[in-house]
Amino acid sequence: MKLNSAIRGLVACLLFVCSTCEASIAKVSPSSSKRTLIIYDKKITDLRAYSDYFENLAQLELDLEFVSVVNDTKDIELFDKGVKLYSNVVLFPLRSRKISKDVTAETLIRFSAAGGNVLAITSPQSSTEAVRTYLNELGIYPSPKGYQLSDHFQSRQDGTLQLDEKSIRSNEVISADGNALLYNGSAALLKNSELLFPVLRAPKTSFTKSSRDEGEWTTGTQGFLAAGFQSLKNARAAWVGSESFFSNAFYEVNAKAVMDITKWAFLEKGVIRSLGASHSHRDGSTYNEEPYKIKDDIIYTIGLSEWRDGSWKPFNSDDVQLEIKMIDPYYRVTLNPSNATEEVQFYTSGEIKLPDHHGVFSFITDYKRNGYSFVFEKDVKAIRHLANDEYPRSWEISNSWVYLTSIFAVGLSWMLFVFFYLTSRPKSLAMPEKKMQ
Amino acid sequence: MKEATSGTLYWVQTLLKIAIFLSITGAAVSSRLFSVIRFESIIHEFDPWFNFRATKYLVEHGFYKFLNWFDDRTWYPLGRVTGGTLYPGLMTSSAAIWHLLKKVGLPVDIRNICVLFAPAFSGVTAYATYKLTSEIKDSGAGLLAAGFIAIAPGYISRSVAGSYDNEAIAITLLMVTFMFWIKAMKTGSIMHSTFAALFYFYMVSAWGGYVFITNLIPLHVFVLLLMGRYSNKLYASYTTWYAIGTLASMQIPFVGFLPIRSNDHMAALGVFGLIQIVAFGSFIKSQVSWEKFQTVMFVSLAFLLVLGVSGLFLLTYFGYIAPWTGRFYSLWDTNYAKIHIPIIASVSEHQPTAWPAFFFDTQFLIWLFPAGVFLLFLELKDEHVFVIAYSVLCSYFAGVMVRLMLTLTPIICVCAAVAVSKLFDAYLDFSFVFQKSKNGARKFDKDAIFTTITRTLVSGTFVAYLFLFVYHCTWVTSNAYSSPSVVLPSRNPDGSPALIDDFREAYYWLRMNTAEDAKVASWWDYGYQIGGMADRTTLVDNNTWNNTHIAIVGKAMSSPEDKAYEILQAHDVDYVLVIFGGLIGFSGDDINKFLWMVRISEGIWPDEIKERNYFTPSGEYRVDAAASQTMKNALMYKLSYHEFPTLFGQQEGIDRVRGQTIRAEDVGDLDYFEEVFTSENWIVRLYKLKDRDTLGRDLKSASQFDRAAARGTKRRVSKRPQLELRV
Repeated sequence: MKLNSAIRGLVACLLFVCSTCEASIAKVSPSSSKRTLIIYDKKITDLRAYSDYFENLAQLELDLEFVSVVNDTKDIELFDKGVKLYSNVVLFPLRSRKISKDVTAETLIRFSAAGGNVLAITSPQSSTEAVRTYLNELGIYPSPKGYQLSDHFQSRQDGTLQLDEKSIRSNEVISADGNALLYNGSAALLKNSELLFPVLRAPKTSFTKSSRDEGEWTTGTQGFLAAGFQSLKNARAAWVGSESFFSNAFYEVNAKAVMDITKWAFLEKGVIRSLGASHSHRDGSTYNEEPYKIKDDIIYTIGLSEWRDGSWKPFNSDDVQLEIKMIDPYYRVTLNPSNATEEVQFYTSGEIKLPDHHGVFSFITDYKRNGYSFVFEKDVKAIRHLANDEYPRSWEISNSWVYLTSIFAVGLSWMLFVFFYLTSRPKSLAMPEKKMQ
Repeated sequence: MKEATSGTLYWVQTLLKIAIFLSITGAAVSSRLFSVIRFESIIHEFDPWFNFRATKYLVEHGFYKFLNWFDDRTWYPLGRVTGGTLYPGLMTSSAAIWHLLKKVGLPVDIRNICVLFAPAFSGVTAYATYKLTSEIKDSGAGLLAAGFIAIAPGYISRSVAGSYDNEAIAITLLMVTFMFWIKAMKTGSIMHSTFAALFYFYMVSAWGGYVFITNLIPLHVFVLLLMGRYSNKLYASYTTWYAIGTLASMQIPFVGFLPIRSNDHMAALGVFGLIQIVAFGSFIKSQVSWEKFQTVMFVSLAFLLVLGVSGLFLLTYFGYIAPWTGRFYSLWDTNYAKIHIPIIASVSEHQPTAWPAFFFDTQFLIWLFPAGVFLLFLELKDEHVFVIAYSVLCSYFAGVMVRLMLTLTPIICVCAAVAVSKLFDAYLDFSFVFQKSKNGARKFDKDAIFTTITRTLVSGTFVAYLFLFVYHCTWVTSNAYSSPSVVLPSRNPDGSPALIDDFREAYYWLRMNTAEDAKVASWWDYGYQIGGMADRTTLVDNNTWNNTHIAIVGKAMSSPEDKAYEILQAHDVDYVLVIFGGLIGFSGDDINKFLWMVRISEGIWPDEIKERNYFTPSGEYRVDAAASQTMKNALMYKLSYHEFPTLFGQQEGIDRVRGQTIRAEDVGDLDYFEEVFTSENWIVRLYKLKDRDTLGRDLKSASQFDRAAARGTKRRVSKRPQLELRV
C-alpha cells in the first residue's frame, strides 16, 4: 500500500511538472506552431491583388507557404505519416474540381479533427468538390458556381454591396466600428448546428441567384456571407463567400474585419482557457484529505484567461456557471468574479451546501459561447452519506425527551417494584384471614 | 441406541461418537473440495464475488469504515450505501477467522479463508444437526442425520469450496438456532432461549432468509397453543427468545426497524401478544370457575380478533407497516412475479422446482422424508410439532422456488434419519440370537430363523441404500455442483478435458487496459464479477436494489444504437460488455436473457419498449433473417453479432446456441461503438463508446461519410438543402 501511494505521488509530481511545462508553452501563444499553408489557383487568383492582406498576415508572425494548384504540380500534403504538417490552412477559390490527389474532403475533415484551423474562401467562380463537401459536413452550404449575391436596392453595377452594422452577427469575431463593409460574392445557407455561428449576414433585401434562371439559393437574412465554426476540440474553421473581400481594392474599408476573421480562425482571438477548476471544503481542506459528505459546505473556484493582443489577460464575464450533477443537475450556480491577477480572472461559487443526497456527483463548468473557445472542466467525486456516529445523539433532539423519560420511568418503576416485592412481607395477606375468623 | 451413563460402555460410546464425527466432518469437507481439485482455489459464481470484495474491504479498512462504506464503484452514479445494505455476518466471520489465525501465527491469505469457509462450516452444521435430531429422537438418529446432511447434494450445492455465499453460513446458524430453540422449549430454560436468540441474531446478520426462523418459531408456538399445550416453559422460552432476538436483530443496519414495521415479521409479534393473553387466560382459569371463564374467553377472543385484524389493515393502509414484499407474494402465487416484478422472475433461482430436482438433491431421503414425518406424528411430542411444521412449510416453499430447496434439505435429513433409525431400531436388533433361553441352552426355533432372515434382508437393503446414497452424492457433487461457473469445463475434439477461461481473460483485459475510473455497462448478472475481478465501476449489479437503474441498462440494450448511445453517454459509460455464446454454444448468454431486459425496461417505459416488437409476426423469438426489425436494430443484437458472420468466411454465420443463421446484412454496421476486445471463444465481447464527433455531426452520418470516402464514392450534391430557418 505504502509503495503504491509513493508511486502515485511520484506520478502526480511528474504530471504536475508536465502540466506546468505545458502551461509555460501555452503562455507564448495558444497555437503552438505557426506553419500556414495558402492554397490558391494561379489561373483565377493573382496574389499581387492581395498584397495588403498578406502583409498584415506576416505581422502575425505566421510562417506562410504558398502553393498553387495546377494540374501537374507536386501533390499537396497536409499530413506526414499521420502527423499534421500545418496548423493553419487558407483555401482560396479554386477552379479545378479537385484540390490535389491527396487532399480531399476527407483529408480536410481529418485536418480539422486533428486540430488544424481552416480559412475557406469561396466565390461565385469556384466549384471545388472537396471544399464544398467539407463545408457541407460542417453545416455550411455555399451557393454553387455562378450564383451571385445581389440586392436591387443597392445600385452598384458590378454587384458590390455595402454591409452595414446590422450585418455583423458576431461581435466576438468582428468588433463593429460603425463603418460599412464592402462585399462582392456569394452567400450560403447555414445549418442549425451548435458549433456553427454566422459572422456576416446578407442584407434584408438581398438574394442569391444564378444568371441562368434556376431559383434563389438564399433570400434576405437567411443568406450568410461569413461563418465561424469551432470543433469540440477547439479547432476552428471560418468561411467567407467572397474572394474580393480580402483584396487590395476593398482593403481600405475591410482591413479590420478581414484581420478579425483571420485572427479568429487562427486562434489569435477569442481564445480562452481555464486554469484548472478546484473545489474544497469551506476550511480549505481538499477532497483527498476529507471526502465530501452530504450537506457539506464547499467552495468552487475556476480561473479564466483570454488571449488578447499577444498576451494572456483576465477573462471577464458574468455567465460562468457551476453545475453539480448526478444525471440531472442538482445545482446550477452562476459564479461570481473574485480576485484577479495580471493574467487570470478567478470566479468563485462562494460557500455552497452540497445536495442532501449521496451519490457520485460531477462538478462541471461547461462554458460554450459562440466565438470563444469552449471551456469544459469536469471532476467526478462521490458524496457519501452520514456515518452511523455523525447523526445527532438522541438526547440532543428535544422530541426524543418524551421517549427517554418514559424509558427511564419504566426502568425505575421496575426497580422499585422489585425492591418492594422483595422487601415487603405478606402481612396484608394474613390480615383478611384474621377477619374471616 | 441405548446410552450408557457411566463405566466402560460410556467411554467406548464416546470414543465411537468422536470417531464417527471426525469421519463425518472429513467426508463433509473433502466432498466439497472437488471444485478446488478440479479447477483451482477460486471464488465461484456471482454473489460470492461481492462477498469476497466486501471481506477484503473489511480486512483492509476495519469495521468502522466497513459499516459506513459508501461504495462509489457500483451503481454509478447513484453509488450504494453498501455498509448499510448488506448482511455483514459472513464477512465479519471470515475477518474474525483471519485475525484469529494471524494472532496465532498463521497468516493465511483472505482469499483462501473465503474459499474454504463453506466446507469448514459444513462440519459445524453436521454437529448441530446431530444435536437437533438427538433432541427429536435419540443420538442414533442424530448420527445418521449428521451423516446425511454432511453429504446431501441439496446442501452441498450452496456450500462447495469457493461458494462464498451467505447461505454457506446461514444453514449452519439455522440448525444451531433450531437446536437451541428445541432445547429451550423442552426445558423452559432462559439460558437456552437466550442462546437461541443470540444465534438468531447471528443468523439475521448473515442472511435475508432469517425471516424463515422469524415465522417458523412463532408458527410452532401458535400450533402448540391451538393444541392446548400451553405451559409456563413455552411462555418463558418464547418471550425470552422474542424479546432478545428482536431487539438484537434491529441492531443490523439493513434490518433496522423492519421487525416492527414489515408484515413479514408481524406473525412473531402477534404470537408474542397472543401468548401474553393465553398466559393471562390460564391465570384467570386457575382463579375462577369454568363457566365464567368460558364467557370471558369467548368475548375477549372475539374482541381481540376484530381489534387485531382491523388494526393490521389500518396500519398497513396508512403505511405504518410495510406491505408484504414481492418475493413473499411470489411464494404464494408463482405467476405473481412474472406479471408484476420481472426482475424477480428473471432470476433462475426463483423459478419453480422441477420434480427430478428433489430426487437429484436428496436421493433416497426424499421418500423416507414422509415416512419420518409420519413416525413423528405417531408420537407427537411438542418438539415433533416443530419438525412437522417445518416440513410442511418448507416442502411447499421448495416446490415454488428452486432456491428454497436449500432450507428443505436439513429437515429432510432429520426426518429421514428418524425413519431409518426407527427401522434400524427394530430390524438391526439381533440380540435375541444371543439370548439364552430359560434352561440355559441356545434356542434355535423356526421363528428365530425367519426373524433373522427378514431382519438381515431389511437391514441389508437399507445398508445398500445408504451405500448407493453415498455414491449418488459423490457423483452429483463432482459433476453438477463443483463448477465455479467462472471457468467452464469443456472437452477438446479428442475427448481430453479443457477449460474455457474467457471470463477471466476479459476481466483481466479490462483491469489492465482501461482507465481506473472507467465505467462499464453490462447486464446486472455480471456486475459483481466486473467489480470483483476487473475492479471497474459498474452501473448495475446483482444487488438489484434499484429496478429503475436496471431498466435503464435494459432500455439501452434494447434500443437502437443512437438512442442507446445517448442513454449510455448520459451515464458516463465508457465500455459496454456483452456475453455471447453463439460461437461456442454457451447457452447462458445475453441474447437468451435479452427478453428479460426488454420486459424490465417495458415495465418502466411501456410507450417506448414493447416486448411484442422483438418477436417475429408469428410470435417466435428469432435472431436470423426472420427476426423483426426492432430486434435487429437493438443494441444487444448488434453488439452480440458484430462481425460474427465474417468469422465463417462467407456472409453467413451459424449461431450454435439458437441453431440459426446470422446474415451480415441483418447485423449491419456499428457506428456508435467500436469493438475493443473479444475473448478467445467470443464469450465476452467488449465495446467502447466512440467519442462524439468533433465536428458536431451525429456519429452515424460521420461514419457513413468515412465509409463513402473509403470506398471512393463521390457525392455530388449541389441541390439546395432543406434546412430549418436560422433565427
